Amino acid sequence: MAELERDLREVGRLLASPPEPDLVPAVRARLGEAAPRRFGFGRRRVLVLALAVLVVALGAAFAVPSARTAILHFFHIGGETIERVDTLPNAPRRSPVIGLAGPMSVEDATKRAGFNPFLPPKHGGIYAADSVLATYIRPRVVLTEARAELGMMKKVASPQTRLEPVRVNDHDGLWIAGAPHVVYYFDSQGRGQARNLRVAGNTLVWAYGSVTLRIEGPLTQAQALSIASSIR
Amino acid sequence: MHAYQGIAFRIAYLVVGNAAEAEDAAQDGFVKAFRALHRFRSGEPLRPWLLKIVANEARNRRRAGTRRDALTLRASAESSSGEAAPSPEAALLEREQRRALVAAVDGLPEPQRLVIACRYFLELSEDETAEVLGIRRGTVKSRTARALDRLRETYG
Repeated sequence: MAELERDLREVGRLLASPPEPDLVPAVRARLGEAAPRRFGFGRRRVLVLALAVLVVALGAAFAVPSARTAILHFFHIGGETIERVDTLPNAPRRSPVIGLAGPMSVEDATKRAGFNPFLPPKHGGIYAADSVLATYIRPRVVLTEARAELGMMKKVASPQTRLEPVRVNDHDGLWIAGAPHVVYYFDSQGRGQARNLRVAGNTLVWAYGSVTLRIEGPLTQAQALSIASSIR
Repeated sequence: MHAYQGIAFRIAYLVVGNAAEAEDAAQDGFVKAFRALHRFRSGEPLRPWLLKIVANEARNRRRAGTRRDALTLRASAESSSGEAAPSPEAALLEREQRRALVAAVDGLPEPQRLVIACRYFLELSEDETAEVLGIRRGTVKSRTARALDRLRETYG
């Protein structure tokens, strides 16, 4: 018995199998997260950056001691990674624009962030840093946008946090609500992860091409979707 | 997704036996999994849940009548994996035995072939195999035992 089982395992490792394809670009495209093209990066450069971001993401997850236990969930929308973990890391409640400069004009923010933001008709001053910007669109409601292939936001959600797939202006998105989750932003070098760690409220996340958008605040899902419909 | 795409593709390939169909099945599986995220129960392991969706996609494609390639060994597997260089006769025997075993697995009825593929080729646990194939753990045990008996008969 044991010998046959050992032989089967050995043969399993020696089986011919076609090269494993990279499924990520096709799946992303089908989920409405078309591969970034608008900045004219070559495919290779995007791939290198994506790998760097992934490595940083994994490194960051394991660098937060209490998030180290059983990562149960790992999904991406644009540049945002959502993981479900047993225990949330300790994080303070602080402003969603923490770590960003401003407020400043749309023109200055566009230069600083390095991309053109999608904005609703009414918004406040813009806060920005390299590849990310944010603005208040209602009292306590913040719209944050990040260029997916350079910056990255990461969330860890507790088992009590509800993660619900939704459609946002014909793009796949995620509604995160019910219990606080922890979010932090960091760039492709992994800078800023500890500084920007914070507890977040209800959030709607979706992506337009290479830009990931999130609306966060004391909102219902319907209210968040209604605001999102004015941001195109 | 990066962490699971390799095994998702391999499981799909073992079910459909065709690279293009396996890639489509794995891709469809990931998209469906994303859209079914709200049905994923917190606290459950993600991997078997995801692989089950991919395996179902692959099975649906298999039912649609795709021709399955026979299992074969890699060309590099034609040489021995032993620590000491065996004699040419021993190497030939080892090669023939491996080929015979692969052919024997290939000839199993599909339910038994899949349970062997999950348990020994993909090295999934009994619980994971049960989840992925949508059967009870007891069925995994009994089906594995029957498949091993059958292999022993044909493979020696």
